[in-house]
Amino acid sequence: MRLLIVEDDAPLATGLRRILEAEGHAVDVTSRGEQAVLAAAQERFDLVILDIGLPQMDGFEVLRRLRAAGGDKGGPMPVLVLTARDAVEDRVRGLDLGADDYMIKPFAMPELTARVRALLRRSQAHGGPRIVHGPLTLDTVARRAFLRNEPLELAAREWAVLEVLLGKVEKIVSKEAIIQAVAGWGDDLSPNAIEVYVSRLRSKLEPAGIKIRTVRGFGYMLEEYKGAAN
Amino acid sequence: MPARSLRAHLLRMLLPPVAALLVLGALVAYYPSIEPATAAYDQGLIDVGVSLGTYIRASEQGYRLELPVQVDQVLRRDSYDSIYYRVLGPSGEEIAGDEGLPGPPADRDWKDGFLAYDAAYKGQNVRAVALPAQCGSQSCSVLVAETTVKRKRLQRDILFSSLLPEMLIAFATLAIVWFGVKRGLGPLARLSDEIKARSPGDLRPIDAAGTPDETRPLVSALNGLLEEVAQASRNQQRFLANAAHQLRTPLAGLQAHTELALAKPVPTEVRSELEQVHQATIRTARLANQLLALARAEPGARGNAAELNLKSLAESEADAWVHQALARDVDLGFELAWAPVQGDAFLLREALANLVHNAIEYSHRGGHVTVRTGRNGTSSFLEVEDDGPGIPAPERERVLERFYRVPGTPGTGSGLGLAIVREIAAGHGATISITDAMGASSGNRGCRVAITFPYG
Repeated sequence: MRLLIVEDDAPLATGLRRILEAEGHAVDVTSRGEQAVLAAAQERFDLVILDIGLPQMDGFEVLRRLRAAGGDKGGPMPVLVLTARDAVEDRVRGLDLGADDYMIKPFAMPELTARVRALLRRSQAHGGPRIVHGPLTLDTVARRAFLRNEPLELAAREWAVLEVLLGKVEKIVSKEAIIQAVAGWGDDLSPNAIEVYVSRLRSKLEPAGIKIRTVRGFGYMLEEYKGAAN
Repeated sequence: MPARSLRAHLLRMLLPPVAALLVLGALVAYYPSIEPATAAYDQGLIDVGVSLGTYIRASEQGYRLELPVQVDQVLRRDSYDSIYYRVLGPSGEEIAGDEGLPGPPADRDWKDGFLAYDAAYKGQNVRAVALPAQCGSQSCSVLVAETTVKRKRLQRDILFSSLLPEMLIAFATLAIVWFGVKRGLGPLARLSDEIKARSPGDLRPIDAAGTPDETRPLVSALNGLLEEVAQASRNQQRFLANAAHQLRTPLAGLQAHTELALAKPVPTEVRSELEQVHQATIRTARLANQLLALARAEPGARGNAAELNLKSLAESEADAWVHQALARDVDLGFELAWAPVQGDAFLLREALANLVHNAIEYSHRGGHVTVRTGRNGTSSFLEVEDDGPGIPAPERERVLERFYRVPGTPGTGSGLGLAIVREIAAGHGATISITDAMGASSGNRGCRVAITFPYG
């Protein structure tokens, strides 16, 4: 994948570049917002990591120009905003301007790489017919699932719940959100019913190392795939 | 300067002139009306004198008064006063009547054929008239006097009837001042109510519309002050944002490079040093965050209060905490119900994050942490409960102090977390309570920190 880092702090920019290169990405670095806008207009990046606190043209302005019509080449690029400011207004403003995710400095590298993977996966899945999560593949057009290349039988509601969870890997999805997403099938769904579907999904997916974590009193979180269970 | 009531001051200023006006008004009404009334009574005495004069008879022995007893009784009859008379001959000799009744003062001129004067007789004040009476070819004089009972009574009546309306007017004036001042100061009272009702962070200018012209200088002076405070607050916010940026960016670089180094195959002794650096970096970053949060929680640096729901606040932060909890193998759960508060989202988030961080930090592996929000009577609450070692009762006050840590506590905390929570709670008018966990299991008492916000 092709990544652009816009960060004026040289040690941090270098650190980020090395970490992301170690993940197998091609990484370009610039310290100036104007150059970032120019680069994005000429080339297609799969992800932009954008610092808000840039000299002269700040990150908000870069984001605004990227999101303005024709500002980025070949469809919207996912943008992960980095900020050292913690004012809620900044966060809201960043998301309002179209940032896809938001991290406050300093951050742990595993968290950054996890978020980068999630954003890349989401943008790949965007409009695409296939969702891949470790050994699991969902063909959303044919509505067929495969686990370790074997066909996986999923009931309609199990499929719907899994699709919601796959859309937000490493994020908590509340039971209400799942109910809303699955409620297209008509009759009322109780939170208990969701528990049943999740437990069926677990029994099918956990042998392949795919974990759905329960967040007590709130919802579920599909963990990032970390390899098959022993 | 002693506290002074504007009303009392105005009344003190008004009372002497009103009282003087009252006396003056009474006098002005009294004298013009006492004259004709006195003259009428004097005329009664003259009538008696004229009647007496017709009973004077002349003879060789001189003059006599041939007054029948019945007439004498009629002339002397009066409901209130005693009537005296004295008849004197042309050369001043005694003819009849009450001896010793004083004559008119010598220095007074006769007017309209009679003379009225005040005198004393038998130890009483009397009013007397002297008038001439025809006796033969000569002129005798008749003195008629009466005590002053009905005159005094008349004076009193006149004085009272003129004074009563005057006093009513005076009291009405004072009452109008008393209530008028209260009414006139109404806009000031409304102004102070408006200022009192404000939250500490509300530094918007006061709306001068609807206030009287006289209070405009006060309002504009207050607005000037508010603007200065708001400016100072904005400067502080800007400083904090810059300080945050300046501190965090290099820390992010330090953390990135340490983690990069740790990802490489390095000799064991170097690895252990690197891990120390990594831990110190994370601790410094957290400390920087906490100091900034503490500075932000200071009065005057607070942002705008808004209507918030603690439930949504907890939900929006849940992602970050879950990863923290997973890393320490702690089961993080939520029992969230609607909990409206008025407050600063950043600060409340920070308070909640500190409580959750502490609970996860001090839990054992496999422990449970539960975040709750909800309503309780007229207040909203948020609480975080763990089943860790808990805080001994004697330490519960002290753990809220800055940099205080319970002796023997493992881990690397700065002792700032709960101090931040306390500052933030205080800034929201909320109270903190630290208790044992509700379902405290054997061995661990657990810990439950609850913040209660008055609302609704």
